[in-house]
Amino acid sequence: MLQNLNLTKIFAIMLTISFSFFFSNCSYSVEPDEILQDKKQESRAREISKNIRCMVCQNQSIDDSNAPLAKDLRVLIRNKIKEGNKDEEIYNFLTERYGDFILLKPPFKLITIALWCLPFIFFIIGIFILFFHNKKSKKTFKDI
Amino acid sequence: MKKKLLIVPSILFLSILLVFFYLLLIDRNPSEIPSALLGKNVPKFETDSLLKDEKFISYEKFKNEIILVNFFATWCKPCRDEHVYIKRFSDKKKVKIIGINYKDNPKKAINWLKKLGNPYTDIALDKNGKIAIDWGVYGIPETFLVSSNGIIKYRHVGPITKKIYNEINLLINKTN
Repeated sequence: MLQNLNLTKIFAIMLTISFSFFFSNCSYSVEPDEILQDKKQESRAREISKNIRCMVCQNQSIDDSNAPLAKDLRVLIRNKIKEGNKDEEIYNFLTERYGDFILLKPPFKLITIALWCLPFIFFIIGIFILFFHNKKSKKTFKDI
Repeated sequence: MKKKLLIVPSILFLSILLVFFYLLLIDRNPSEIPSALLGKNVPKFETDSLLKDEKFISYEKFKNEIILVNFFATWCKPCRDEHVYIKRFSDKKKVKIIGINYKDNPKKAINWLKKLGNPYTDIALDKNGKIAIDWGVYGIPETFLVSSNGIIKYRHVGPITKKIYNEINLLINKTN
C-alpha cells in the first residue's frame, strides 16, 4: 500500500515536471509594445518570426530570442506587414541580406537536394534490407 | 559474397568518421556564416555623418576607390581591440576606411575617436540599426571590403586579428 502511494506520488511529480516543460516552451520573447493591434496581422508576424533564425543565437527563432537584433527584425517584419508586404516579399527581403541561413527550414534547392531526399532514400533502402533479411531468415528457419 | 557485403557498413562508418574528424581539425568557426552580399552591389542608404556637417549618401561615397567598411560602436569591447588594425589600414594609400557607428551615442563616439585616434575618412550614423540589417550584419564588429566599382568582395564577422589583418591586406593588393 505504502509502496503504491509512493509510486503515484512519483508519477504526479513527473507529470507536473513534464507539463511545466511543455508550457515553458510556449513562452515567447515578443514584447507588449511590439504587438500589432490587428490580430490577423499579428498572427502573420508570429508565423513568419517562428521561421526566421536569430542570427545571434543561431538555434533559436527570432520569436523565441531576446537578442536586440531579433527584436529589430520582429519590429521590421511587423512594419513590413503594416506597409502591406506579402509574406513572400518579407522572406525575400531577409534572405537577400542574410542568406538562406536565416530560414530555420532550408529551402528545396539544387544544393539542398541531398539534404531533403537522403532520408527517404535511406528509408526505402532500410525497408528493402528488412524485407530481404526476413525472407532469408524464414528460409533458414524452415531448413531447421 | 555475404562476408564481403558485411565490410560495406564498416567502410561507410569509417568514412563518416573521417569526415567528422576532418571538420573538427580544420581551422574553422562554425558560427561564421558566409555573407549573402558577396559579389553584390553595396546597399544604398542615406544618413547623417558623425564627423561632418552633411548627409552621408552611400552612392557618392562608394565609387572610384577601394573601401573598407567597418561597423563599430563604443559599447563594443572587441571594436576597441581591433582599432589598432583599423588604424594600420588607414596608413595605406590604396584603401579608404568608412566607419558605420552602430546604435551608439554620437558624443561618446567622438570622444572615443579623440582618445584612440580616428582612422575613418567618414563615419555614417546607424542609430536604429537599419543600415546594419541592409548589410546583413548580425554581430559587430564586422568589416567589409568594397571594390572601386562598389561591389562587396569580402566580409569578416568579429574583431580583426593579426591573421585577418594579413588576409585583408593580401585582398586589398589583389582588388581593383
